[in-house]
Amino acid sequence: MPPSPSLHVAVVGTGIVGAAAAHFLAASGARVTLLDATGPAAGATGASDGAVSVASKRPGPMMDIARHARAFYVRCEADGLFRGLFHRRSTFLVARTPVEAELVAQHGADLAVAGERVEEIGRAALLARIPGLGESVCAALEIPDDGHALGYEITERLLQRSRVAIRRDAPVSEIVTQAGRASGVAIRQEHLAADAVLVAAGIGSSALLGLGDILIPRKGQMAVTDRAAAGRPAIDGHLMAASYLAAKRGIVRDNAHIGLVIDPLMTGQFLIGGSREDHRDDHATDAPTIAAILRDALDLYPPLAERRVLRSFAGVRTASRDGLPILGLHPHLPGVAIATGFEGDGICLGPLMGACAARLLLGVPAGIDLSALSPQRFASAGGRP
Amino acid sequence: MTDGPVLVVGGGPAGASAAASLAEAGLPVLLVEQRDALGGAIHRQPAPGHAHHIRLPARHRRNWAALTARLSTTAGRIEIRTRTIFLGVDGQGRFLFDDRAAERVFACRPRAAIIAVGAVETIRPFPGWERPGVMTAGGAQVLLKETGRPPQGPILVAGSGPLLLAVAAQLAEAGNPPVAVLERGRPWRAPGALAQLGLSGGLVGEGLGYLARLAASRVPYRTGAEVTRAEPQGDRLKVVIRTGSAEDVVQVRHLLVHDGIAPNRTGIPLPAPDAAVPVLLAGDGREALGADAAILDGRRAAMQLLARFGRAETTTPAEERGLSRARAVQTALAQALHAEAAPPPPETLICRCEGRSYAELAALPEDASAREIRLMGRFGLGACQGRFCGPMIAALRGRPMPAAAPPRWPLRPVSLAALARLTTDETE
Repeated sequence: MPPSPSLHVAVVGTGIVGAAAAHFLAASGARVTLLDATGPAAGATGASDGAVSVASKRPGPMMDIARHARAFYVRCEADGLFRGLFHRRSTFLVARTPVEAELVAQHGADLAVAGERVEEIGRAALLARIPGLGESVCAALEIPDDGHALGYEITERLLQRSRVAIRRDAPVSEIVTQAGRASGVAIRQEHLAADAVLVAAGIGSSALLGLGDILIPRKGQMAVTDRAAAGRPAIDGHLMAASYLAAKRGIVRDNAHIGLVIDPLMTGQFLIGGSREDHRDDHATDAPTIAAILRDALDLYPPLAERRVLRSFAGVRTASRDGLPILGLHPHLPGVAIATGFEGDGICLGPLMGACAARLLLGVPAGIDLSALSPQRFASAGGRP
Repeated sequence: MTDGPVLVVGGGPAGASAAASLAEAGLPVLLVEQRDALGGAIHRQPAPGHAHHIRLPARHRRNWAALTARLSTTAGRIEIRTRTIFLGVDGQGRFLFDDRAAERVFACRPRAAIIAVGAVETIRPFPGWERPGVMTAGGAQVLLKETGRPPQGPILVAGSGPLLLAVAAQLAEAGNPPVAVLERGRPWRAPGALAQLGLSGGLVGEGLGYLARLAASRVPYRTGAEVTRAEPQGDRLKVVIRTGSAEDVVQVRHLLVHDGIAPNRTGIPLPAPDAAVPVLLAGDGREALGADAAILDGRRAAMQLLARFGRAETTTPAEERGLSRARAVQTALAQALHAEAAPPPPETLICRCEGRSYAELAALPEDASAREIRLMGRFGLGACQGRFCGPMIAALRGRPMPAAAPPRWPLRPVSLAALARLTTDETE
């Protein structure tokens, strides 16, 4: 169905998802107004690691969708949109105890079932790839087809290429309806008319759509080091501890739990994270948590002792009650689409999810099975949407 | 926590004055200083194995001797920790310190804090300011105080402000007078401001003394002259100087630049005198008024805190009068030396940590958020976290650098292993 030439979409939220939706809407000829309470990549997009990783995903629909999303990155890299911003790199799932080794093996089996390439890598081979790895590492799997991209760089590229003007400092307080259908949004005293509204505002979506009992903020604290290498990643892959898998698979739910990842950035720096603090939506970092993350990181990769910490920061992930993202048309309010709840997976999923949201708004089939993400599941369970 | 110590960060004139005043009133004090010894930038002590060659004006020596005497009288109530770097305050109110000797970070929750971390030097950037051989005049002065030895080879001192004269005179005293001192401003065209300065006593005497020292060494003091470019040529720097519409070139080994000082506020908590844990700023870190005023300001902050604790009157009229006088001097100096700034050439480096240019700064949206400036612009993201480039960026954009919220820590790069060894004064 060709888009109506006059379709005007207000996209609320200029994170990676909103920027991608705006880009693909504009590419299809729609008129887009991109709004953000502060500015581009101001939320979780600008405060996350750069893992475009299938390796970390929960088995089931998330793992399958993440494979599509990573393939979408590969395509966008090849066709020029993401050129220079997406790099293939391995993820290493590492275990430091026999129990963790079992978990990693189970996760590897789940990945293989989903069609992912998974390679067992012995300690000696792993040491050859990542010299200096901690003595406690007893088992590991390599997921060779994963990749790396920085959310804020992808967001900036999407905005540049689409030439959609973004309105900063434009907090949307309300979706305005007319005859039971969205007719625009309210920004302070202003009414902005639109044919459709996409809410991709992370935790900000909660107040806008009354999703307070569905969306949970989950704070993550991280640290960035100085450069261990000049202009290239300092180690040959992304280190993901079994503790991170345990959190992603829902085995551990504890605000003091560290789901450890060591992300070698393209600058030669390391990004090390992170905590998983439910119901915390502030951006403060505290020294005991950062120190705990660093102790764990030193155990996994002792050469970090030579590094200096340049800064600590926190991002707020938006998780849904059942752990799956929410993507689809609002069940009760025509003209509104929702794209939020990507938890810590927004960088990996964001571009594809934005493209899918654009297709939904344009009335075009998304091309992949998104039924597991439909907001409908909360409507039938008695939730507000 | 009512009986814990009051934290004083910084052992320069303001911090020493605050610590002594608090201890004299009977309060326990924890005084932390990043260097090996107290003194701040002005009274920087020689490094081990080096003799003291730089004599400060008698007034400064007397003031510091008096402060040191007060600190020793109250030594029983002041714990001094040197080689301890303030890393900021975490999101739960812990004050964080890098104890370089113990190679670990410690956190404490003081009863109150006075932060007296001094000023940062500012410069007006020009192409080549980041080259080897160029350093700030204040940095060179500190090196001179620590080693007693001036840099070898021809030196040019350029920029604006009274520090240029002090550094040049000290270089002459140490045996290597600069080839010239270039002052960007044209003080002779602001007679009113000069007259105002003439009434200010000690400071003018100090300045005239420096000028006399420079005259004795035949060092020209050129006003209305500024450096527009520096580039390496062999082991020298080729420096282009503009005076009005005329340009000339000098070859030197070292170029010392300086355009004033600004309070060091990057990542420093906002003053909160009425908070449960009161935080006050003092000295050049609150308002850059110089060493004499810093002593008064440290005492003013201590009195304010004592009043808050019900131990003193709030008003400190003597201190306020002294600060007003210092402020009037600084205002007159700023008027006398004012020089309009033209934007630098696009290729001029702004952030040396991340290698970012003025063209890249100018390309940012006018209303860019703190995060856009940092992440998209990559300004203020490196080792200095914006402490040095922040004031330049603010001046060039004509608006204050938006602060990261909440303030980021660590304020200085800290050993990852030391931070992992965090200890706290909490019983958790």
